[in-house]
Amino acid sequence: MEASILQIALIFIVTFIAAIDQFDFLESLYQPIVTGAVIGMILGDLQTGLVVGGTYQLMTIGNMPIGGAQPPNAVIGGIMAAIFACSLNMEPNVAVAAAIPFALLGQYGVTLFFTLRAPLLEQFRSAAVSADPKQVTLWTVISEIVLGLIFAVIVTLFFIGGQAFGQQIVDAIPEWLNIGLSASGGMMRFVGFAILLKIMMNRDMWAFFFMGFGLACIISAIPALATPALLILAFIGFGIAFWDFQQQTELKGALADGGDMEDGI
Amino acid sequence: MASNEFVVPERYEDLTPAPQVDQATLNRMALRSCFLQSSFNYETMQSGGWLFAMLPGLEKVHTNKRDLAASMYHNLDFINTHPFLVTFVMGIVLSLEQNKVDTQTIRAVRISAASPLGGIGDALFWLTLVPITAGITSNMAIQCNAAAPIIFLVVFNIAQFALRFGLMNWAYKLGTTAIDSLTANMQSFTRAASIMGVFIVGCLTVTMGGTQINLTIPNGTTRSLAAHTVVVSNADAKNFTDLEGIDTESAEAGAIAMTDTSDKALTAADAEGNPVETGVVDLGNGMSSVTYAEVTESPVEFSVADTLDTVLPKLVPLCLVLLLYFLFAKHNFTPIMGIGLMLAIGILGSGLGIWPSIW
Repeated sequence: MEASILQIALIFIVTFIAAIDQFDFLESLYQPIVTGAVIGMILGDLQTGLVVGGTYQLMTIGNMPIGGAQPPNAVIGGIMAAIFACSLNMEPNVAVAAAIPFALLGQYGVTLFFTLRAPLLEQFRSAAVSADPKQVTLWTVISEIVLGLIFAVIVTLFFIGGQAFGQQIVDAIPEWLNIGLSASGGMMRFVGFAILLKIMMNRDMWAFFFMGFGLACIISAIPALATPALLILAFIGFGIAFWDFQQQTELKGALADGGDMEDGI
Repeated sequence: MASNEFVVPERYEDLTPAPQVDQATLNRMALRSCFLQSSFNYETMQSGGWLFAMLPGLEKVHTNKRDLAASMYHNLDFINTHPFLVTFVMGIVLSLEQNKVDTQTIRAVRISAASPLGGIGDALFWLTLVPITAGITSNMAIQCNAAAPIIFLVVFNIAQFALRFGLMNWAYKLGTTAIDSLTANMQSFTRAASIMGVFIVGCLTVTMGGTQINLTIPNGTTRSLAAHTVVVSNADAKNFTDLEGIDTESAEAGAIAMTDTSDKALTAADAEGNPVETGVVDLGNGMSSVTYAEVTESPVEFSVADTLDTVLPKLVPLCLVLLLYFLFAKHNFTPIMGIGLMLAIGILGSGLGIWPSIW
């Protein structure tokens, strides 16, 4: 099927919006059930788009960004599945399966993007140092546009270039680089943790850090508690912190009032 | 790139509590919270978007420009919370900022309040609301019902925005009323908040630390006897019983035998790993069932990850966090240097294509 300039432009715009929406804005426009129908409409086959979108959506239900993990990218996957079904006349289920490599490529791209975006923080920091809210807004907008453009360009190229092109791209990335970057991506968060520790830590706080570490080891070994683990741990941490607060304030109250003060918080 | 080393003061210069923030500003903050992940990155995760969302309130509260700079700077700390529940943290933090609480306390409260919300939000949205609404509407879509995407969007966004606005207002009120009793015991409160903060960072090291050394070291081979049972004619069975006995310690891999060097039957492991004795059973119809043993040799690998896990699970994330803390606290490492170090470790670990990947 030959795509018209208008269709290419519309797919570019839809992907641009969906790419931003997957992390921000309504965080629901990007779901395959929506993009499938929209792509179907653009390519003149709403029915097929609906079916593919629904099929892909059912596949991704168990595959959500839980706990900050990056699932196979539903934006690229959902849009490519709809494109395959509507423009290459694939069966919906085949189209969904054919789109999975693209979703994996998108997952890899997002991880890489989040890793490479860390230096952007310097722009925010310099805006903060000069107390300039306009700079924050500016860099927020730039950041969103870059994300949208990357996705939109890739999907549009796939739309024009077709399936073989996608495989070539995937094959061109050496595996060692892929592994190394995703390992680094997984370690970047430790930088954030360490900075937080530097802010809050003093000599008598280390025990609480290791206590949190130890309790988390225990809870995360229990599969049934994997999802609410942090909430449960927060209850425990809150209990300890609250108890410490009471101890500290009672001590102070006792010194001031000769030990007869009721503690009201 | 200009160096942005900035020391956040312990206290704001202007310590007069600011007047209540008006509803329009709270609404603007709730709307901006939709862009929490606009500059999501692996160093401080949602911090850029968090600052963007907090700004309307911060500008109202901090009229002193140096205070605003300090506040903006420390609001760029690492934060990772659920994008739909973030306004709860925003309301609390705004009330603390408004009352000019110590900066360290604000930072500690923010990370403590933000982190556990991730799990609650996942449970509410990704594990409950989306599966239910998307599950129902997907089936409608597969039946070519064009209303399906619209119903999905309406239900999902009503839930989302009700939570965003509701939590913003509730948390802000909660924060401003609780603040008086809290400021009376500020030092203890800061200490308690820091305890909770470092406790949560300890937890995050485990729950979000997935780094593991994926290295296996070949560690010699192990030999064993595998049992095979075949049914052959009685004449052929004689060939088996005539097999020479073998020394199980020195025989080559692949050798088959019925007996050892002193003519005793061998004990070998069958496919399920159960021990069976070798021997010949005459089935009475001219056929025999023969069980013979084959010497097998399989390589043994020593997994670094398994060994480390027996020392302490999540040892690698713990060591990396402690290493980075040490570099930041004692060696004036900047965050970018930390990021560079992690990139170097990651790519060296994957071996630049020269040696085997250890990740």
